[in-house]
Amino acid sequence: MNRNASRILAALFGVLAVTLPFFAGDYPLQVARNIMMYMALAITWDMLLRSGQISFGIAGLFGIGAYSAILSVIRAGMPAWFSILFAAIFSGVVAFVIGFLILRLRAMYFSIVTLALGEIFRIIIHNLHDFTGGPEGVVIQKGVIFGGNANSLYWLVLAGLAVALAASFWFEKSKIHFALTAIRNNEISAQSSGIDIFRWLLLAFVVTSAIQGLLGGIFVQSYGFATPDAVFSADFTLLPLAMALLGGVYSTTGPIFGAILLGLASEWLKLKIPYGHLVVYGIIIVIVILFMPQGLRQLVRRTSHSADGRSA
Amino acid sequence: MIKLKTENLTKSFLGLVAVNKISFSMEEGEILGIIGPNGAGKTTFINLISGIIMPTEGLIEYKGMDITYIPAHERARRGIARTYQLIHPLENLTLIENVMVGSIFAKGHSLKEARNKAEALCHELGLTGLDRDTSRLTILEVKKMEIARALANEPEVLFLDEVMAGLNADEMKDLIAIVQRVALERHLAVGVIEHVMGVIRELTHRVIVLEAGELIAEGKYEEVSNNPRVIEAYLGRGGV
Repeated sequence: MNRNASRILAALFGVLAVTLPFFAGDYPLQVARNIMMYMALAITWDMLLRSGQISFGIAGLFGIGAYSAILSVIRAGMPAWFSILFAAIFSGVVAFVIGFLILRLRAMYFSIVTLALGEIFRIIIHNLHDFTGGPEGVVIQKGVIFGGNANSLYWLVLAGLAVALAASFWFEKSKIHFALTAIRNNEISAQSSGIDIFRWLLLAFVVTSAIQGLLGGIFVQSYGFATPDAVFSADFTLLPLAMALLGGVYSTTGPIFGAILLGLASEWLKLKIPYGHLVVYGIIIVIVILFMPQGLRQLVRRTSHSADGRSA
Repeated sequence: MIKLKTENLTKSFLGLVAVNKISFSMEEGEILGIIGPNGAGKTTFINLISGIIMPTEGLIEYKGMDITYIPAHERARRGIARTYQLIHPLENLTLIENVMVGSIFAKGHSLKEARNKAEALCHELGLTGLDRDTSRLTILEVKKMEIARALANEPEVLFLDEVMAGLNADEMKDLIAIVQRVALERHLAVGVIEHVMGVIRELTHRVIVLEAGELIAEGKYEEVSNNPRVIEAYLGRGGV
């Protein structure tokens, strides 16, 4: 598959994504919403990975976004649509502050701390009973955004995905691409090219965290409730990670194809082996890391190279 | 005109003194050889000047400004560039994109401008096939690319850390001519760490010799290579 073929495929998915509500029923729309939500998270995870930083904190920032959205509606009477923007801003600000502390860390130390942060946020919300509703969570009394209209909810998630896609393309086509790639390759030689490493890492961390928060806001507004266990679920970290790894990292297209494949597979597996589908996820992660560390993109490239008569 | 100087520059790692009270200076247009046996502290010395590590004591002055403790990326922007002994081409970037990086971040050029400048630079160094993946370059091309990446910063002071290692005699000749030309045209002050003495003799105007972190000799190559202290440092006491 060459670049053109993958462009055509991407365009087809784009057309499908935009026309789906006009002919699909509630169940396919619900599945598509799920896939798009995880796809957007997978893209943001990959965006930070392009700097070499492996974050396990997606669920943490997603959850922060979810709670800031729902609490701003319930406690401050903010309009639902505005609370979603507020979620993005709030998660971005949180990332900015903790970025100063944790972006000095590297490799597994960074990863472990991001994992711990998500847990810390969850525990705080668990225990601020009066404000957050504690372990039982909170419910929006006036109901779900758009009165729960399936089509409108679909458009909302698609808009969230569009934000992630736009940000990812911006990262790919601008100076940011050069900065993050240089940092990932070798931080010392990046500095010698005039790159202020901390500044670019902070930018990437804040932008990806804000989008994760935005998606948390969209999630919580489309279900109308939040509990710590639901919005800080490890699924929001692990599934996007598996999708990006499967599709191929350091790109926008990899997470997209990974999300579609794993999303559809998991929906099917859920029906066949309830709960067992997570085992399959784990197996996929292991297989991908062992045999194709650059994901399906690499596999596809290799085969198309040999088809051209060139060696891989 | 003096571009760069150090005074009593010292770095110790947990009590081990790697660079010990080195004072030296570099003039505009000068090519300076930095030699010494393995472990003498040559690379540590350059790391201090380029800001990769911070000194324990002493002073670094660049064009009259104290830069002793400013961060590495800021020094790169002001005009101090270097290559690395272990070269790490940026994977996932093509040859020309590798060269663009310094132009983008050290000089703040737009992507388009940086590409034009990188093209001219590659052309100047005799690099072709600019859209190739860096894994497909020959060793000479990798060395040239490393020099091009440093020159993309548009520096006034350039350090080359064992840039000749791994090249054959013809390739060295080629690269020596390139370094001489770019230094002359840009009025650079160039510091060259090198183990191949033929290269030092051909390329440099002046040499400093480090041993165990100390500057033990300074002067023209011919003077220095006959200095008993230098011969002892290389061959040991009672050497031939």
